[in-house]
Amino acid sequence: MDTESQVEEPRRVRLGAGQVALEPAEPILAPAEQVRHLYRLSDPALSELPLAELLDELLVRVRDALGVDTAAILLYDPERDELVARAAKGIEEEVEQGVRIPLGQGFAGRIAAERVAIFIAELDRAEVVNPILRRKGIRSMLGVPLIVESELIGVMHVGSLRPRTFDQRDLAVLQLAAARAAPAIERARLFAALEHEHRVTMLLQRSLLPRALPEMVGIKVAARYLPARDEVGGDWYDVIELPRGLIGVAIGDVVGHGVRAAALMGQLRTALHSYSLESQGPARTLELVDRFVQSMDEYAMATAAYAVLDPETERLRIALAGHPPPVLISGRQARLLEVAPGAPLGGFPYASCPELETSLRPGETLVLYTDGLIERRGTPLSQSLSELAEAVREARSAEAACRLAVGRLIPAEGLADDAAILALHNVGVPERLRLDLPAEPGVLSGARRVLRRWLRARGASEPVISELALATNEACANAVEHAYPPGPASFELIAEAPPADPDSPPAEVVITVRDHGRWRPPRGEGRGRGLTIIEAAVDRLDVKPSSNGTEVVMRRRLTEEARAMSGARP
Amino acid sequence: MRLADVELRVRDGALVARVTGEIDASNAGELRMAITAATPNDAVGVVLDLTGVEHLDSAGIHLLYRLGESLRSRGQTLRVVVPGGSPADDALRLAGVTRHLDIVRELDEGLRALAAAAGGGA
Repeated sequence: MDTESQVEEPRRVRLGAGQVALEPAEPILAPAEQVRHLYRLSDPALSELPLAELLDELLVRVRDALGVDTAAILLYDPERDELVARAAKGIEEEVEQGVRIPLGQGFAGRIAAERVAIFIAELDRAEVVNPILRRKGIRSMLGVPLIVESELIGVMHVGSLRPRTFDQRDLAVLQLAAARAAPAIERARLFAALEHEHRVTMLLQRSLLPRALPEMVGIKVAARYLPARDEVGGDWYDVIELPRGLIGVAIGDVVGHGVRAAALMGQLRTALHSYSLESQGPARTLELVDRFVQSMDEYAMATAAYAVLDPETERLRIALAGHPPPVLISGRQARLLEVAPGAPLGGFPYASCPELETSLRPGETLVLYTDGLIERRGTPLSQSLSELAEAVREARSAEAACRLAVGRLIPAEGLADDAAILALHNVGVPERLRLDLPAEPGVLSGARRVLRRWLRARGASEPVISELALATNEACANAVEHAYPPGPASFELIAEAPPADPDSPPAEVVITVRDHGRWRPPRGEGRGRGLTIIEAAVDRLDVKPSSNGTEVVMRRRLTEEARAMSGARP
Repeated sequence: MRLADVELRVRDGALVARVTGEIDASNAGELRMAITAATPNDAVGVVLDLTGVEHLDSAGIHLLYRLGESLRSRGQTLRVVVPGGSPADDALRLAGVTRHLDIVRELDEGLRALAAAAGGGA
């Protein structure tokens, strides 16, 4: 009598090498004891366990249900076409040693390759790959494939240290356990794979967003990127310091999700940033980005909004490429800016992009956003847009605009699509300007710009602005040059326009540059010229050296007319 | 953002240096070195085009003097292109140095002046 004859009920096919393949068992009526075991295997509470605990618990229950000594689960690794031990009871060494079985070989390998249940009555006479099974003294074994939607994902097997037979009921129990384990494993694996992609994409997305927003006097920018609940999209924003002190703010949304969208987002953000430095304005910049998208090998589409602010004139230019309209917050009211949108980037050949020219006055805030912020299932777009305007209308700063929008529009369960928001706020310049600046040549350009802006706000004429900015620049350059460590390496720039009497507008500006270095008379060609420029540009110059620094006070009438009337030299 | 950019091209035996942006104490030294380094030994000189310059101050004027000196010591000539009424023009006027520098109003005029200077010297 051979070993296989001990199996009575399952229909079987002899495989040779001591193995018998079994036909799947039909669910059958079981004695009370087995019903209890079956119930324990289909316990709904199991599905709440994390994968590792679920597999452990299943193996314990299978072992109890079948009265076996060992139980193990091996998972299929399609890349290497091997089974890898993942969980084991009684033969923990399998997992610890990371046992790998080539598909088609040995006991587990054949279960996987043939996708059949296999029974080994006497291990001594069977072909097995894994030496641990013999070393453990296992005599009889039963194994089943783990299959989800006709895809092999692994093998579950049990073993007995004494020779025994497995009947139809035993097979049914093992198959039930397998049916229980397989989807859970698959879910966990898919989840892990998604997790991995999500992490990669997040990392990519994060590395492509600007790390820190530039600091600018009188203009504040704030932004947020909000990842979606379970996907990463291609939203981005950018703040660009343009030539002549102009500020560009951009926001965009690449159609699609995942790594590809994030990578494409990086390309578009770089393209927009590059073109913005060269081009004539927002509309042309978006047109050039569109041509760039058109020239890409792969099909790509994106929407974007790009606005350029000249802080000195407060002139704001905006262009949209298939993007929702920006919100302008002004005096506790928020409204959508009526910008005629151009086609989406990559949408149509030779698309042209209209441009809106308006202004961003002191206290006003421009809000750019992507549609992830406003898209709600079942809510009309017009309603979402008014909700956005309503949410941000109390904002008195760029930061507050972002905070209010995020706080009031993001649902508790998170976003279905990713979203970005960017706010640009014109703080304005105070009537009395006072800047504490580090004594470095790099601060000169910023100081010139703020002063020009302040002079324009005071109603200074164009020649007065240019000449006073030049004079102040020379006084600041002198302070930078004469800042000696270890003293505080900083200087002050103060600009005031005191009214002659309380009822009349100021006629004169007084600009003071105060450093903490010792005054040194201008030497050599270079420095002498600085003083010449100051003297030529102001009505009156006072240099007040003291023990703890030097104060340069410059006065000038605001307009040429005032200057002529006051009798100052022409 | 960098404050200024310079485009350096050799044309008609001269180096044409076109500066755009702002020249101040933070970048004047670097610009002068870049222009000096790009000037071939056999060039007749340099035409420095300040048409696209939005700010020029005493540090920039100092650059013009130093560049002129170093070119002269190599037997080369400097011409500075400054359109009337441009920001660079304002700065040179306020500093009172317009007459002391070899100023031309446009690029071609500068190139012709250099060619003439080279021809005269030959």
